[in-house]
Amino acid sequence: MADASRQRQRDVAVLGGAETEIVPEDLRSIPEMVLEAVAGALDDAAVQWEDVDAIVTASVDLFDGLTASSIAVTEVVGAVLKPETRIAADGMAAAIHAVHQIAAGAYGTVLVVAHGKASMAPHWDLTEWAMDPVYLQPLGVDFLTVAGLQANLIADSNRVGRCASLGDGACAVVLSSSVPSGAAVITGTGHDLDAHYPGDRDLSTWSGLQRAAGRAYEQAGVRDPATAFAVAEPSCMFPHEEGLFVEATAIGKNTPLSPSGGLMEGTAPIVSGLTRLLAAARAIEGNPGRRALAHGAWGPAGQGHAVAIVEAT
Amino acid sequence: MILEGTIRLPFSYAAGGIGTQFLIALRDEQRILGARCESCSTVTCPARPFCSQCHAAVTDLIEVGPAGNVVARTETPGKGVFGLIRLDGANTAILHRLVGPVDQWRRGARVSAVFAEERTAGINDIEGFVIEGDQP
Ligand SMILES: [Zn+2]
Repeated sequence: MADASRQRQRDVAVLGGAETEIVPEDLRSIPEMVLEAVAGALDDAAVQWEDVDAIVTASVDLFDGLTASSIAVTEVVGAVLKPETRIAADGMAAAIHAVHQIAAGAYGTVLVVAHGKASMAPHWDLTEWAMDPVYLQPLGVDFLTVAGLQANLIADSNRVGRCASLGDGACAVVLSSSVPSGAAVITGTGHDLDAHYPGDRDLSTWSGLQRAAGRAYEQAGVRDPATAFAVAEPSCMFPHEEGLFVEATAIGKNTPLSPSGGLMEGTAPIVSGLTRLLAAARAIEGNPGRRALAHGAWGPAGQGHAVAIVEAT
Repeated sequence: MILEGTIRLPFSYAAGGIGTQFLIALRDEQRILGARCESCSTVTCPARPFCSQCHAAVTDLIEVGPAGNVVARTETPGKGVFGLIRLDGANTAILHRLVGPVDQWRRGARVSAVFAEERTAGINDIEGFVIEGDQP
């Protein structure tokens, strides 16, 4: 008998969403940026504050320079006197958490919000503090170094290629159990974490993404990923990651990657995956039966991966 | 308006029982320890209190290296060359500095650990890895 997690989950609609323009330095405060994304998302989804049952936010204290960085946005995401859950990972992981809340019947409509402001501090220096303090921090190892080791295995390069331009931004998406006709629905999700210590993992593959995608395919009933998707929206930050993504998801050579532009020209940490979910939903809306794959990643060299399958009704 | 600030505060990290044994062995004996799993026989290096592959608790420490093979290497601007090195006797790779010019580093190269003269029971007690035979 299939275990419960492998069964097809209840469809969850992407009612709408909005994101701020990614800029190298947004002079607004985090709450001001988030307010713009949230107001835009509620407007796009045609819902009011009172329609939102719960909120899931994504943020990382280290990147915000304060602890419990969700506190900075409590008011502007409408979480005062409402249930709020905070995820310290990419926004796609927050979206999956919201999908599970809705699929479990806990809430009907959930607002998902992610923010990131790379201009606040030297980003790669910050990532040193996300590494193991006994064996890695004293060496000065950061996410760029681990990405470089992975690039060496994939592209035989001495150094990692140019990273996507990191800037400031916020994104908000409204998910709901009520599915308006023509809406994009999330029919499968998957999520996976690999080992933290880079030498414990096989860095030549994104096996975490392979497992995450496999779980999502099973839920969504995707049998042949090479032909299943009209669009894939990966969260690739370095040039060598595109090959890792295509291999791990088995989407083949013919699935268009990020026709809307992707992340290389500008993205914000933590926000990337949620913007991919929105882009995937928008790419297929109004074309019943079409599917898209959205991906979020976080940690050194893709330690964490989250995948959502979106389907037009 | 952007307000400038600095976060600066001292912090104390527990190396743990296995971590402490690993670091003391570097300092006092110039030996590198791996943790051998009794369930699946994986030797994880640097040693940690759990198996990196099956996540069982591990208490058995064995000496590995000090020579091994480069699995991957990269140059991080401003920081030097780093490599993943699978030490002889270990199943996982240790991440450390590769000492010497970047173009001599090839995957699969045989390397050996060089220990720092002044050792403080930290991961930097290994100064880095050099091509085998190039030890000072
Ligand atoms: Zn084991």
